[in-house]
Amino acid sequence: MSGCPGSKTIDFSEKTNQEGSETGKRPSQLRQWPIQMHLVSPMAPYFQGKDILLAADCTAFAFGEFHKDYLKGKSIAIACPKLDSDQEVYVEKIKALIDDAKINTLSVMIMQVPCCFGLAQIVKDGAEKASRKIPVKQIVVGLEGNILSEEWI
Amino acid sequence: MHKVLNREIKELITTYPEVGRVLEEYGIGCVPCSVGSCLLKDVVGIHNLDLQKEATLMYRLEKAIYPDRKISEPVVDMTRKSEPKKITYSPPVKKLVDEHVLIKRLLALIPSIVEFTESSLRVDKNLILGCVDFIRTYADKYHHMKEEDILFKYVDDKAEIIQVMFKDHDTGRGHVRQVVEGAEKGNKAQIKEHLLAYRELLTQHIKKEDEILYPWIDRQLSTTQVGEMFRKCSEADASVGDELPKKYEKFIIELEEKLLQEVTK
Repeated sequence: MSGCPGSKTIDFSEKTNQEGSETGKRPSQLRQWPIQMHLVSPMAPYFQGKDILLAADCTAFAFGEFHKDYLKGKSIAIACPKLDSDQEVYVEKIKALIDDAKINTLSVMIMQVPCCFGLAQIVKDGAEKASRKIPVKQIVVGLEGNILSEEWI
Repeated sequence: MHKVLNREIKELITTYPEVGRVLEEYGIGCVPCSVGSCLLKDVVGIHNLDLQKEATLMYRLEKAIYPDRKISEPVVDMTRKSEPKKITYSPPVKKLVDEHVLIKRLLALIPSIVEFTESSLRVDKNLILGCVDFIRTYADKYHHMKEEDILFKYVDDKAEIIQVMFKDHDTGRGHVRQVVEGAEKGNKAQIKEHLLAYRELLTQHIKKEDEILYPWIDRQLSTTQVGEMFRKCSEADASVGDELPKKYEKFIIELEEKLLQEVTK
């Protein structure tokens, strides 16, 4: 097995241990639009003073309780560090979110594949350029949708 | 057992000494605590033990209190190794842990300060009052005030464990007053007694905070609260200015050098 772990084909459709309840409706916790990092403005009212979740595109599909456990109560931006272009803009937007929107915290949620750590690096670069300091958390999601780690960085 | 969980730990240890021995075996240091007013349920909860470990601890405690009672031993999977829990802190709590490092450097110097004082012809008042200034300004005003005014507000500050921390702070302030009085009177014995008592108190106090209290508080904080606490602590730091921590770090470095020179004389 070789090649990029981020695009390697893995099939876990045989996985049967689907614990949890399917009863009841699960309302969306999304409270804003747009959400893609290139489309959002750091000056949007829904970012001001808030807790922000910067999620890699794949995380919401991989982690079953994304809305309930991580999106609830936060404003969001999404991005893909592997496929998105002009990522230097992202660094500037992170800086503006911290300095201008005066966000409270920033959580970056990424997949376990190596390329996804590029998004965490973008966050670190933006936070370092900012004059304000805020707590930054990194959450790593496994390919099969489990939380591998969650720590302040 | 439910009633026992709501009893104060000191009283339980006094009535059933085996309880103290079991707690020590599990690394829970309630026996030497001077206050001991925490409830047993809080003592067990606050240590965030592995589920298997907690089950066996509760079994052992119940057997220690009710030796004649028939209690079934919890089934423990001996093949499952419990992972040692790595302590991680949120950024504002980490800052408080980092501040402990400078305080511990002073505590480490206290035996040498005492020795130097005893062997000197007269009490070096400037040296003693310099240490008192460090304790009062850096340890107490800069550090303990952030705990009392910010950190402890995020939990029930009437909780026994928090009250123990407040009491430690007050006891420490009492020792410092005695050290000042000793320095003013040139009373070496008074300085020695209270500097050493302060050292012992703060050493245990910091250990309790780093290993037990801070992680316990951190586990209860939401992401929003971490951000809010970080901002409040940053504002508190800004209100005293960047120079204050630098000044006291310089004081400790110079004190370490001075005492090293005394030792090598």
